[in-house]
Amino acid sequence: MVSKKVTLVNAQGFHMRPASVFAQAMAKYTSSVTIKFNGNDYNAKSLLNIIAACIKCGSEIELVCDGPDENDALAEAVQMIESGLGE
Amino acid sequence: MLNGIGASEGIGIGRVMIIKEQTLEYTPKEVTDIEAELARFRGSVDKFCDNTMAQADAIRQSTGEKEAEILLGHIAIIRDPFMGGEIENLIKANQCAESAVEQICKMFIDMFSATGDDLTMQRAADVKDIRDGLLSILLGVEEVKISDAPAGTVLVCRELTPSMTAGIKKENIVGIITETGSKTSHSAILARALEIPAVLSVPNAVAQLSSGEQVIVDGDNGEVITAPDQAQIDEYSAKREAFLRERRELENYRGKATASADGTEYELFCNIGTPKDAVKAVDADGEGVGLFRTEFLFMDRSSLPTEDEQFDAYKQASLILKGKPLIIRTLDIGGDKEIPYLGLEKEENPFMGFRAIRYCLKNRDMFKSQIKAILRASAFGDIRIMFPLITAVEELREGKALVEEAKADLKASGIDFDENIQVSLNAKIGDLFDFDINWNTQATFDFENKSVSHHASSGGVGQAIRCIKK
Repeated sequence: MVSKKVTLVNAQGFHMRPASVFAQAMAKYTSSVTIKFNGNDYNAKSLLNIIAACIKCGSEIELVCDGPDENDALAEAVQMIESGLGE
Repeated sequence: MLNGIGASEGIGIGRVMIIKEQTLEYTPKEVTDIEAELARFRGSVDKFCDNTMAQADAIRQSTGEKEAEILLGHIAIIRDPFMGGEIENLIKANQCAESAVEQICKMFIDMFSATGDDLTMQRAADVKDIRDGLLSILLGVEEVKISDAPAGTVLVCRELTPSMTAGIKKENIVGIITETGSKTSHSAILARALEIPAVLSVPNAVAQLSSGEQVIVDGDNGEVITAPDQAQIDEYSAKREAFLRERRELENYRGKATASADGTEYELFCNIGTPKDAVKAVDADGEGVGLFRTEFLFMDRSSLPTEDEQFDAYKQASLILKGKPLIIRTLDIGGDKEIPYLGLEKEENPFMGFRAIRYCLKNRDMFKSQIKAILRASAFGDIRIMFPLITAVEELREGKALVEEAKADLKASGIDFDENIQVSLNAKIGDLFDFDINWNTQATFDFENKSVSHHASSGGVGQAIRCIKK
Protein backbone atom coordinates (compact mmCIF):
# COMPACT_ATOMS: atom_id res chain seq x y z
CA MET A 1 0.00 0.00 0.00
CA VAL A 2 1.33 3.44 -0.93
CA SER A 3 -0.10 6.87 -0.20
CA LYS A 4 0.55 10.57 -0.66
CA LYS A 5 -1.07 13.84 0.39
CA VAL A 6 -1.85 16.37 -2.33
CA THR A 7 -3.68 19.67 -2.56
CA LEU A 8 -6.39 20.25 -5.15
CA VAL A 9 -5.40 23.22 -7.35
CA ASN A 10 -8.02 23.38 -10.10
CA ALA A 11 -10.46 26.24 -9.58
CA GLN A 12 -13.69 24.26 -9.84
CA GLY A 13 -12.68 21.60 -7.36
CA PHE A 14 -13.65 17.99 -8.00
CA HIS A 15 -16.72 18.56 -10.14
CA MET A 16 -18.33 16.77 -13.04
CA ARG A 17 -15.65 17.09 -15.67
CA PRO A 18 -12.47 16.75 -13.56
CA ALA A 19 -14.04 13.95 -11.50
CA SER A 20 -15.03 12.12 -14.66
CA VAL A 21 -11.55 12.42 -16.21
CA PHE A 22 -9.91 11.31 -12.98
CA ALA A 23 -12.20 8.32 -12.36
CA GLN A 24 -11.69 7.10 -15.91
CA ALA A 25 -7.91 7.32 -15.59
CA MET A 26 -7.95 5.39 -12.31
CA ALA A 27 -10.29 2.69 -13.65
CA LYS A 28 -7.51 1.17 -15.74
CA TYR A 29 -5.49 0.12 -12.68
CA THR A 30 -5.96 -3.21 -10.90
CA SER A 31 -5.09 -1.62 -7.57
CA SER A 32 -7.75 0.05 -5.49
CA VAL A 33 -7.52 3.85 -5.44
CA THR A 34 -9.01 5.64 -2.45
CA ILE A 35 -9.35 9.32 -1.65
CA LYS A 36 -9.23 10.09 2.06
CA PHE A 37 -10.90 13.41 2.80
CA ASN A 38 -12.53 14.82 5.94
CA GLY A 39 -12.24 11.48 7.69
CA ASN A 40 -14.05 9.55 4.94
CA ASP A 41 -12.88 7.14 2.25
CA TYR A 42 -14.06 7.62 -1.34
CA ASN A 43 -13.58 5.20 -4.21
CA ALA A 44 -11.55 7.19 -6.76
CA LYS A 45 -12.67 4.97 -9.64
CA SER A 46 -16.22 6.24 -9.18
CA LEU A 47 -17.21 9.61 -10.55
CA LEU A 48 -20.23 9.68 -8.24
CA ASN A 49 -18.17 8.91 -5.13
CA ILE A 50 -15.76 11.71 -5.97
CA ILE A 51 -18.59 14.19 -6.55
CA ALA A 52 -20.24 13.17 -3.27
CA ALA A 53 -16.98 14.01 -1.45
CA CYS A 54 -17.52 17.67 -2.48
CA ILE A 55 -13.80 18.51 -2.52
CA LYS A 56 -13.07 22.18 -3.19
CA CYS A 57 -10.03 23.96 -4.56
CA GLY A 58 -7.30 24.27 -1.94
CA SER A 59 -8.36 21.17 0.01
CA GLU A 60 -5.76 18.62 1.01
CA ILE A 61 -6.60 15.01 0.26
CA GLU A 62 -4.74 11.76 0.78
CA LEU A 63 -4.48 9.29 -2.10
CA VAL A 64 -4.10 5.64 -1.13
CA CYS A 65 -3.37 2.93 -3.72
CA ASP A 66 -3.25 -0.76 -2.90
CA GLY A 67 -2.49 -3.59 -5.34
CA PRO A 68 0.02 -4.92 -7.87
CA ASP A 69 0.28 -1.64 -9.85
CA GLU A 70 -0.06 0.68 -6.85
CA ASN A 71 3.06 2.74 -7.61
CA ASP A 72 1.97 3.57 -11.17
CA ALA A 73 -1.54 4.35 -10.03
CA LEU A 74 -0.34 6.71 -7.31
CA ALA A 75 2.13 8.43 -9.63
CA GLU A 76 -0.54 9.16 -12.22
CA ALA A 77 -3.12 10.23 -9.63
CA VAL A 78 -0.69 12.69 -8.04
CA GLN A 79 0.43 14.03 -11.41
CA MET A 80 -3.17 14.59 -12.54
CA ILE A 81 -4.21 16.44 -9.41
CA GLU A 82 -1.08 18.57 -9.21
CA SER A 83 -1.45 19.61 -12.85
CA GLY A 84 -5.01 20.83 -12.18
CA LEU A 85 -6.93 17.92 -13.75
CA GLY A 86 -6.73 19.35 -17.24
CA GLU A 87 -8.45 22.61 -16.34
CA MET B 1 -60.27 31.24 -20.38
CA LEU B 2 -57.12 30.21 -18.49
CA ASN B 3 -54.61 32.77 -17.35
CA GLY B 4 -50.85 32.48 -17.14
CA ILE B 5 -47.71 34.38 -18.01
CA GLY B 6 -47.13 35.40 -21.62
CA ALA B 7 -43.56 34.24 -22.07
CA SER B 8 -43.14 34.05 -25.83
CA GLU B 9 -45.10 36.47 -27.99
CA GLY B 10 -47.50 35.69 -30.80
CA ILE B 11 -50.83 33.93 -31.25
CA GLY B 12 -51.23 30.20 -31.79
CA ILE B 13 -54.48 28.47 -32.73
CA GLY B 14 -54.44 24.69 -32.65
CA ARG B 15 -55.34 21.43 -30.98
CA VAL B 16 -54.05 20.35 -27.60
CA MET B 17 -51.55 17.53 -27.17
CA ILE B 18 -51.02 16.67 -23.50
CA ILE B 19 -47.56 15.54 -22.53
CA LYS B 20 -48.16 13.71 -19.25
CA GLU B 21 -45.48 12.86 -16.79
CA GLN B 22 -45.05 9.14 -16.82
CA THR B 23 -46.11 7.26 -13.75
CA LEU B 24 -43.19 5.06 -12.89
CA GLU B 25 -44.89 2.79 -10.40
CA TYR B 26 -44.09 -0.88 -10.02
CA THR B 27 -44.39 -3.69 -7.49
CA PRO B 28 -40.96 -4.80 -6.31
CA LYS B 29 -40.52 -8.52 -6.75
CA GLU B 30 -37.90 -11.09 -5.93
CA VAL B 31 -36.07 -12.41 -8.99
CA THR B 32 -34.83 -15.97 -9.34
CA ASP B 33 -33.15 -15.84 -12.75
CA ILE B 34 -30.39 -13.42 -11.76
CA GLU B 35 -28.52 -13.62 -15.09
CA ALA B 36 -31.65 -12.65 -17.00
CA GLU B 37 -32.31 -9.72 -14.66
CA LEU B 38 -28.71 -8.50 -14.99
CA ALA B 39 -29.05 -8.66 -18.78
CA ARG B 40 -32.31 -6.69 -18.53
CA PHE B 41 -30.59 -4.00 -16.45
CA ARG B 42 -27.56 -3.79 -18.77
CA GLY B 43 -29.87 -3.62 -21.78
CA SER B 44 -31.74 -0.70 -20.22
CA VAL B 45 -28.46 1.15 -19.63
CA ASP B 46 -27.43 0.66 -23.27
CA LYS B 47 -30.80 1.89 -24.48
CA PHE B 48 -30.67 4.84 -22.09
CA CYS B 49 -27.24 5.83 -23.46
CA ASP B 50 -28.42 5.49 -27.08
CA ASN B 51 -31.49 7.64 -26.38
CA THR B 52 -29.41 10.22 -24.55
CA MET B 53 -26.85 10.42 -27.37
CA ALA B 54 -29.64 10.98 -29.89
CA GLN B 55 -31.23 13.66 -27.68
CA ALA B 56 -27.89 15.36 -27.21
CA ASP B 57 -27.35 15.49 -30.97
CA ALA B 58 -30.80 16.94 -31.54
CA ILE B 59 -30.44 19.54 -28.82
CA ARG B 60 -26.99 20.56 -29.98
CA GLN B 61 -28.58 21.52 -33.32
CA SER B 62 -31.67 23.21 -31.91
CA THR B 63 -30.42 24.87 -28.74
CA GLY B 64 -26.70 24.69 -28.11
CA GLU B 65 -23.60 22.87 -26.97
CA LYS B 66 -24.09 23.62 -23.27
CA GLU B 67 -27.53 21.98 -23.09
CA ALA B 68 -26.15 18.98 -25.01
CA GLU B 69 -23.31 18.62 -22.52
CA ILE B 70 -25.72 18.33 -19.60
CA LEU B 71 -27.25 15.30 -21.29
CA LEU B 72 -23.88 13.76 -22.12
CA GLY B 73 -22.99 14.02 -18.41
CA HIS B 74 -25.86 11.59 -17.77
CA ILE B 75 -24.01 8.95 -19.74
CA ALA B 76 -20.85 9.45 -17.67
CA ILE B 77 -22.90 9.00 -14.49
CA ILE B 78 -24.77 5.85 -15.53
CA ARG B 79 -21.55 4.32 -16.85
CA ASP B 80 -19.93 4.90 -13.45
CA PRO B 81 -18.53 1.50 -12.43
CA PHE B 82 -19.38 2.02 -8.76
CA MET B 83 -23.01 2.91 -9.43
CA GLY B 84 -23.44 0.05 -11.90
CA GLY B 85 -21.66 -2.34 -9.54
CA GLU B 86 -23.88 -1.44 -6.60
CA ILE B 87 -27.04 -1.86 -8.68
CA GLU B 88 -25.81 -5.25 -9.91
CA ASN B 89 -25.00 -6.31 -6.35
CA LEU B 90 -28.61 -5.69 -5.34
CA ILE B 91 -29.84 -7.67 -8.35
CA LYS B 92 -27.50 -10.51 -7.37
CA ALA B 93 -29.23 -10.38 -3.98
CA ASN B 94 -32.49 -11.24 -5.81
CA GLN B 95 -33.88 -7.73 -6.17
CA CYS B 96 -35.55 -6.70 -9.43
CA ALA B 97 -33.75 -4.19 -11.64
CA GLU B 98 -36.34 -1.44 -11.01
CA SER B 99 -35.95 -1.62 -7.27
CA ALA B 100 -32.13 -1.85 -7.47
CA VAL B 101 -31.94 1.23 -9.73
CA GLU B 102 -34.28 3.18 -7.49
CA GLN B 103 -32.40 2.39 -4.26
CA ILE B 104 -28.94 3.18 -5.55
CA CYS B 105 -30.09 6.37 -7.25
CA LYS B 106 -31.83 7.41 -4.05
CA MET B 107 -28.60 6.83 -2.14
CA PHE B 108 -26.73 9.26 -4.41
CA ILE B 109 -29.59 11.77 -4.53
CA ASP B 110 -29.64 11.88 -0.73
CA MET B 111 -25.86 12.06 -0.51
CA PHE B 112 -25.63 14.94 -3.01
CA SER B 113 -28.57 16.82 -1.52
CA ALA B 114 -27.03 16.62 1.94
CA THR B 115 -23.84 18.46 0.91
CA GLY B 116 -25.57 21.85 0.76
CA ASP B 117 -23.23 22.73 -2.12
CA ASP B 118 -25.02 24.22 -5.15
CA LEU B 119 -23.02 22.43 -7.84
CA THR B 120 -23.21 19.08 -6.07
CA MET B 121 -26.95 19.48 -5.51
CA GLN B 122 -27.42 20.01 -9.25
CA ARG B 123 -25.95 16.56 -9.72
CA ALA B 124 -28.79 15.20 -7.58
CA ALA B 125 -31.20 16.50 -10.24
CA ASP B 126 -29.15 14.67 -12.89
CA VAL B 127 -29.38 11.41 -10.96
CA LYS B 128 -33.19 11.87 -10.70
CA ASP B 129 -33.41 12.29 -14.49
CA ILE B 130 -31.33 9.15 -14.97
CA ARG B 131 -33.47 7.17 -12.54
CA ASP B 132 -36.66 8.20 -14.37
CA GLY B 133 -35.09 7.42 -17.73
CA LEU B 134 -33.96 3.94 -16.67
CA LEU B 135 -37.26 3.13 -14.95
CA SER B 136 -39.33 4.13 -17.97
CA ILE B 137 -37.21 1.85 -20.16
CA LEU B 138 -37.44 -1.03 -17.68
CA LEU B 139 -41.19 -0.56 -17.27
CA GLY B 140 -41.74 -0.13 -20.98
CA VAL B 141 -43.45 3.22 -20.49
CA GLU B 142 -43.49 4.79 -23.92
CA GLU B 143 -42.84 8.47 -23.96
CA VAL B 144 -45.28 10.50 -26.01
CA LYS B 145 -43.34 11.35 -29.12
CA ILE B 146 -43.36 15.10 -29.50
CA SER B 147 -41.64 14.69 -32.84
CA ASP B 148 -44.77 12.88 -34.11
CA ALA B 149 -47.08 15.79 -33.22
CA PRO B 150 -49.17 16.75 -36.25
CA ALA B 151 -49.23 20.25 -37.74
CA GLY B 152 -51.24 22.71 -35.65
CA THR B 153 -50.39 21.19 -32.26
CA VAL B 154 -50.46 23.11 -28.98
CA LEU B 155 -48.17 21.33 -26.49
CA VAL B 156 -49.46 21.20 -22.92
CA CYS B 157 -47.15 19.94 -20.17
CA ARG B 158 -46.14 20.60 -16.61
CA GLU B 159 -42.71 21.83 -17.61
CA LEU B 160 -40.86 22.08 -20.89
CA THR B 161 -37.60 20.17 -20.49
CA PRO B 162 -34.53 20.24 -22.76
CA SER B 163 -35.17 16.65 -23.83
CA MET B 164 -38.71 17.63 -24.89
CA THR B 165 -37.50 20.59 -26.91
CA ALA B 166 -35.15 18.31 -28.76
CA GLY B 167 -38.22 16.66 -30.33
CA ILE B 168 -40.10 19.83 -31.29
CA LYS B 169 -40.64 20.41 -34.99
CA LYS B 170 -41.09 24.15 -35.30
CA GLU B 171 -43.41 23.93 -38.29
CA ASN B 172 -45.86 21.67 -36.42
CA ILE B 173 -46.05 23.26 -32.97
CA VAL B 174 -48.14 26.44 -32.89
CA GLY B 175 -48.22 27.04 -29.15
CA ILE B 176 -46.90 25.91 -25.76
CA ILE B 177 -48.74 25.89 -22.42
CA THR B 178 -47.00 24.86 -19.18
CA GLU B 179 -47.95 24.75 -15.51
CA THR B 180 -44.67 26.14 -14.22
CA GLY B 181 -42.13 28.74 -15.25
CA SER B 182 -41.74 32.49 -15.58
CA LYS B 183 -40.61 34.89 -18.29
CA THR B 184 -36.99 34.01 -17.53
CA SER B 185 -37.32 30.27 -16.92
CA HIS B 186 -35.74 27.63 -19.08
CA SER B 187 -39.11 26.88 -20.73
CA ALA B 188 -39.57 30.54 -21.69
CA ILE B 189 -36.10 30.89 -23.15
CA LEU B 190 -36.55 27.74 -25.21
CA ALA B 191 -39.99 28.84 -26.47
CA ARG B 192 -38.68 32.24 -27.53
CA ALA B 193 -35.64 30.69 -29.20
CA LEU B 194 -38.07 28.54 -31.23
CA GLU B 195 -40.37 31.56 -31.85
CA ILE B 196 -43.39 29.61 -30.62
CA PRO B 197 -46.10 31.55 -28.69
CA ALA B 198 -46.16 30.37 -25.08
CA VAL B 199 -48.24 30.87 -21.94
CA LEU B 200 -46.54 29.56 -18.80
CA SER B 201 -47.62 29.06 -15.19
CA VAL B 202 -51.21 28.13 -16.05
CA PRO B 203 -52.44 26.32 -12.92
CA ASN B 204 -53.54 22.72 -13.55
CA ALA B 205 -53.31 23.13 -17.33
CA VAL B 206 -52.71 19.41 -17.82
CA ALA B 207 -55.84 18.47 -15.85
CA GLN B 208 -58.02 21.24 -17.27
CA LEU B 209 -57.28 20.65 -20.94
CA SER B 210 -57.72 17.47 -22.90
CA SER B 211 -55.92 16.19 -25.95
CA GLY B 212 -57.58 17.15 -29.22
CA GLU B 213 -59.54 20.18 -27.98
CA GLN B 214 -59.11 23.43 -29.80
CA VAL B 215 -57.49 26.36 -27.97
CA ILE B 216 -56.06 29.77 -28.71
CA VAL B 217 -52.69 30.59 -27.11
CA ASP B 218 -52.19 34.32 -26.66
CA GLY B 219 -48.51 34.68 -25.81
CA ASP B 220 -48.78 38.49 -25.68
CA ASN B 221 -51.38 38.65 -22.91
CA GLY B 222 -50.69 35.32 -21.23
CA GLU B 223 -54.15 33.93 -21.97
CA VAL B 224 -55.44 30.58 -23.18
CA ILE B 225 -58.91 30.72 -24.74
CA THR B 226 -60.68 27.37 -24.45
CA ALA B 227 -63.53 26.24 -26.70
CA PRO B 228 -63.28 29.37 -28.87
CA ASP B 229 -66.31 30.32 -30.98
CA GLN B 230 -66.02 31.31 -34.63
CA ALA B 231 -65.93 35.02 -33.81
CA GLN B 232 -62.98 34.51 -31.46
CA ILE B 233 -61.16 32.35 -33.98
CA ASP B 234 -61.63 35.05 -36.61
CA GLU B 235 -60.51 37.77 -34.22
CA TYR B 236 -57.36 35.92 -33.17
CA SER B 237 -56.56 34.76 -36.69
CA ALA B 238 -56.53 38.41 -37.70
CA LYS B 239 -54.29 39.24 -34.72
CA ARG B 240 -51.99 36.41 -35.65
CA GLU B 241 -51.75 37.62 -39.24
CA ALA B 242 -50.99 41.14 -38.06
CA PHE B 243 -48.27 39.86 -35.73
CA LEU B 244 -46.63 37.78 -38.44
CA ARG B 245 -46.92 40.63 -40.94
CA GLU B 246 -45.25 43.00 -38.48
CA ARG B 247 -42.48 40.50 -37.85
CA ARG B 248 -41.93 40.15 -41.61
CA GLU B 249 -41.98 43.92 -42.12
CA LEU B 250 -39.44 44.44 -39.37
CA GLU B 251 -37.13 42.22 -41.37
CA ASN B 252 -36.97 45.00 -43.98
CA TYR B 253 -35.07 47.19 -41.54
CA ARG B 254 -32.19 44.79 -41.33
CA GLY B 255 -29.15 46.39 -42.89
CA LYS B 256 -30.77 49.86 -43.02
CA ALA B 257 -29.34 52.92 -41.26
CA THR B 258 -30.76 53.61 -37.80
CA ALA B 259 -32.44 56.97 -38.33
CA SER B 260 -35.67 58.66 -37.34
CA ALA B 261 -38.11 60.03 -39.94
CA ASP B 262 -36.38 63.41 -39.92
CA GLY B 263 -33.08 61.79 -40.75
CA THR B 264 -31.42 62.05 -37.34
CA GLU B 265 -29.09 59.09 -37.01
CA TYR B 266 -28.86 56.99 -33.87
CA GLU B 267 -26.66 54.15 -32.75
CA LEU B 268 -28.47 50.87 -32.15
CA PHE B 269 -26.61 48.90 -29.50
CA CYS B 270 -27.54 45.61 -27.86
CA ASN B 271 -26.98 44.31 -24.33
CA ILE B 272 -25.30 40.95 -23.98
CA GLY B 273 -24.48 38.56 -21.13
CA THR B 274 -22.11 36.08 -22.77
CA PRO B 275 -19.70 36.30 -25.72
CA LYS B 276 -22.02 34.04 -27.74
CA ASP B 277 -24.82 36.62 -27.43
CA ALA B 278 -22.70 38.90 -29.61
CA VAL B 279 -23.55 36.60 -32.53
CA LYS B 280 -27.24 37.40 -32.03
CA ALA B 281 -26.46 41.12 -31.72
CA VAL B 282 -24.65 41.05 -35.07
CA ASP B 283 -27.36 38.91 -36.71
CA ALA B 284 -30.01 41.34 -35.50
CA ASP B 285 -28.08 44.16 -37.20
CA GLY B 286 -26.89 45.70 -33.93
CA GLU B 287 -24.26 48.36 -34.45
CA GLY B 288 -22.39 47.46 -31.31
CA VAL B 289 -22.79 46.29 -27.75
CA GLY B 290 -23.76 48.98 -25.27
CA LEU B 291 -23.53 46.76 -22.23
CA PHE B 292 -21.67 43.50 -21.78
CA ARG B 293 -22.67 42.24 -18.33
CA THR B 294 -19.65 40.40 -17.02
CA GLU B 295 -21.40 38.80 -14.04
CA PHE B 296 -21.92 35.54 -15.96
CA LEU B 297 -18.17 34.92 -15.81
CA PHE B 298 -18.35 34.92 -12.03
CA MET B 299 -21.57 33.00 -11.48
CA ASP B 300 -22.28 29.27 -11.28
CA ARG B 301 -18.77 28.41 -10.19
CA SER B 302 -16.86 28.00 -6.97
CA SER B 303 -13.96 30.43 -7.38
CA LEU B 304 -12.93 33.58 -9.24
CA PRO B 305 -12.31 33.38 -12.99
CA THR B 306 -8.66 33.96 -13.91
CA GLU B 307 -7.47 36.95 -15.91
CA ASP B 308 -6.85 34.65 -18.91
CA GLU B 309 -10.35 33.20 -18.75
CA GLN B 310 -11.82 36.70 -18.74
CA PHE B 311 -9.49 37.86 -21.49
CA ASP B 312 -10.64 34.93 -23.68
CA ALA B 313 -14.31 35.83 -23.17
CA TYR B 314 -13.85 39.55 -23.91
CA LYS B 315 -11.63 38.84 -26.89
CA GLN B 316 -14.14 36.33 -28.27
CA ALA B 317 -16.99 38.87 -28.06
CA SER B 318 -14.82 41.52 -29.66
CA LEU B 319 -13.80 39.28 -32.55
CA ILE B 320 -17.46 38.40 -33.21
CA LEU B 321 -18.31 42.12 -33.36
CA LYS B 322 -15.54 42.71 -35.93
CA GLY B 323 -14.60 46.24 -34.92
CA LYS B 324 -18.05 47.36 -33.74
CA PRO B 325 -17.96 49.01 -30.30
CA LEU B 326 -18.11 46.73 -27.25
CA ILE B 327 -18.76 48.44 -23.91
CA ILE B 328 -17.78 46.09 -21.08
CA ARG B 329 -19.26 46.83 -17.67
CA THR B 330 -16.98 45.77 -14.84
CA LEU B 331 -18.36 43.39 -12.25
CA ASP B 332 -21.70 44.61 -10.89
CA ILE B 333 -22.20 42.28 -8.03
CA GLY B 334 -23.92 42.59 -4.68
CA GLY B 335 -25.98 40.84 -2.08
CA ASP B 336 -28.80 40.23 -4.58
CA LYS B 337 -26.75 37.87 -6.74
CA GLU B 338 -25.75 34.60 -5.17
CA ILE B 339 -22.04 34.05 -5.58
CA PRO B 340 -21.10 31.98 -2.55
CA TYR B 341 -17.32 32.16 -2.91
CA LEU B 342 -17.29 35.98 -2.77
CA GLY B 343 -18.63 35.78 0.78
CA LEU B 344 -21.01 38.75 0.40
CA GLU B 345 -23.57 39.13 3.12
CA LYS B 346 -27.25 39.38 2.31
CA GLU B 347 -28.45 42.94 2.76
CA GLU B 348 -31.78 44.55 3.45
CA ASN B 349 -31.60 46.60 0.26
CA PRO B 350 -28.92 44.92 -1.80
CA PHE B 351 -29.42 47.33 -4.68
CA MET B 352 -27.96 50.23 -2.79
CA GLY B 353 -25.48 48.60 -0.48
CA PHE B 354 -22.03 47.16 -0.71
CA ARG B 355 -21.85 46.21 -4.36
CA ALA B 356 -20.54 46.94 -7.82
CA ILE B 357 -17.73 49.49 -7.86
CA ARG B 358 -17.62 49.68 -4.05
CA TYR B 359 -17.14 45.95 -3.76
CA CYS B 360 -14.55 45.97 -6.54
CA LEU B 361 -12.54 48.80 -5.05
CA LYS B 362 -12.35 46.87 -1.78
CA ASN B 363 -11.11 43.83 -3.71
CA ARG B 364 -8.46 45.50 -5.82
CA ASP B 365 -6.66 42.34 -6.98
CA MET B 366 -9.86 40.91 -8.39
CA PHE B 367 -10.83 44.25 -9.94
CA LYS B 368 -7.40 44.82 -11.46
CA SER B 369 -7.33 41.38 -13.06
CA GLN B 370 -10.67 42.18 -14.72
CA ILE B 371 -9.39 45.55 -15.95
CA LYS B 372 -6.21 43.95 -17.28
CA ALA B 373 -8.23 41.29 -19.08
CA ILE B 374 -10.38 44.03 -20.70
CA LEU B 375 -7.30 46.06 -21.66
CA ARG B 376 -5.62 43.03 -23.23
CA ALA B 377 -8.78 42.29 -25.23
CA SER B 378 -8.86 45.91 -26.41
CA ALA B 379 -6.03 45.05 -28.81
CA PHE B 380 -8.60 43.04 -30.79
CA GLY B 381 -11.39 45.55 -31.36
CA ASP B 382 -13.14 48.72 -30.23
CA ILE B 383 -13.50 47.97 -26.53
CA ARG B 384 -14.61 50.47 -23.88
CA ILE B 385 -14.91 50.15 -20.11
CA MET B 386 -17.97 51.08 -18.06
CA PHE B 387 -17.92 51.31 -14.26
CA PRO B 388 -21.19 50.34 -12.62
CA LEU B 389 -23.12 52.36 -10.05
CA ILE B 390 -20.77 55.23 -9.33
CA THR B 391 -22.11 57.32 -6.45
CA ALA B 392 -19.18 59.57 -5.62
CA VAL B 393 -16.33 61.22 -7.43
CA GLU B 394 -13.75 59.36 -5.29
CA GLU B 395 -14.95 56.04 -6.66
CA LEU B 396 -14.45 57.26 -10.18
CA ARG B 397 -10.98 58.61 -9.41
CA GLU B 398 -9.96 55.36 -7.77
CA GLY B 399 -11.29 53.33 -10.68
CA LYS B 400 -9.46 55.50 -13.19
CA ALA B 401 -6.26 55.22 -11.17
CA LEU B 402 -6.57 51.46 -11.24
CA VAL B 403 -6.96 51.50 -15.03
CA GLU B 404 -3.74 53.51 -15.27
CA GLU B 405 -1.99 51.05 -12.94
CA ALA B 406 -3.14 48.14 -15.07
CA LYS B 407 -1.92 49.92 -18.21
CA ALA B 408 1.51 50.43 -16.63
CA ASP B 409 1.68 46.73 -15.67
CA LEU B 410 0.84 45.64 -19.20
CA LYS B 411 3.34 48.06 -20.70
CA ALA B 412 6.04 46.68 -18.42
CA SER B 413 5.24 43.18 -19.68
CA GLY B 414 5.18 44.34 -23.31
CA ILE B 415 1.53 43.37 -23.84
CA ASP B 416 -0.53 45.20 -26.49
CA PHE B 417 -3.69 47.13 -25.60
CA ASP B 418 -5.62 50.21 -26.67
CA GLU B 419 -3.83 53.08 -24.95
CA ASN B 420 -6.80 55.43 -25.47
CA ILE B 421 -9.47 53.05 -24.18
CA GLN B 422 -12.66 54.95 -23.36
CA VAL B 423 -13.98 54.74 -19.81
CA SER B 424 -17.56 55.61 -18.99
CA LEU B 425 -19.73 55.18 -15.95
CA ASN B 426 -23.17 54.25 -14.83
CA ALA B 427 -24.49 56.22 -11.90
CA LYS B 428 -27.50 55.93 -9.71
CA ILE B 429 -29.32 58.32 -7.42
CA GLY B 430 -31.49 56.55 -4.91
CA ASP B 431 -33.35 53.83 -6.72
CA LEU B 432 -35.06 56.47 -8.82
CA PHE B 433 -32.91 56.91 -11.83
CA ASP B 434 -29.97 55.44 -13.56
CA PHE B 435 -27.84 57.16 -16.10
CA ASP B 436 -24.96 56.21 -18.26
CA ILE B 437 -22.39 58.87 -18.80
CA ASN B 438 -19.92 58.84 -21.55
CA TRP B 439 -16.50 60.32 -20.97
CA ASN B 440 -16.90 63.29 -23.24
CA THR B 441 -20.57 63.48 -24.03
CA GLN B 442 -23.80 64.18 -22.23
CA ALA B 443 -25.54 62.10 -19.64
CA THR B 444 -28.49 59.95 -20.63
CA PHE B 445 -31.13 59.86 -17.94
CA ASP B 446 -33.21 56.83 -17.46
CA PHE B 447 -36.02 57.52 -15.02
CA GLU B 448 -37.83 54.71 -13.40
CA ASN B 449 -41.59 54.96 -13.30
CA LYS B 450 -41.68 56.32 -9.76
CA SER B 451 -42.17 59.78 -8.39
CA VAL B 452 -38.92 61.62 -7.84
CA SER B 453 -38.11 61.87 -4.17
CA HIS B 454 -37.00 65.14 -2.64
CA HIS B 455 -34.47 63.23 -0.64
CA ALA B 456 -32.46 62.16 -3.62
CA SER B 457 -29.21 63.98 -3.31
CA SER B 458 -27.42 64.58 -6.55
CA GLY B 459 -24.33 66.03 -4.91
CA GLY B 460 -22.02 63.08 -5.29
CA VAL B 461 -23.04 62.22 -8.79
CA GLY B 462 -23.23 65.80 -9.95
CA GLN B 463 -19.68 66.26 -8.84
CA ALA B 464 -18.67 63.12 -10.68
CA ILE B 465 -20.30 64.39 -13.86
CA ARG B 466 -18.54 67.72 -13.58
CA CYS B 467 -15.32 65.85 -13.06
CA ILE B 468 -15.81 63.93 -16.30
CA LYS B 469 -16.69 67.01 -18.31
CA LYS B 470 -13.44 68.67 -17.38
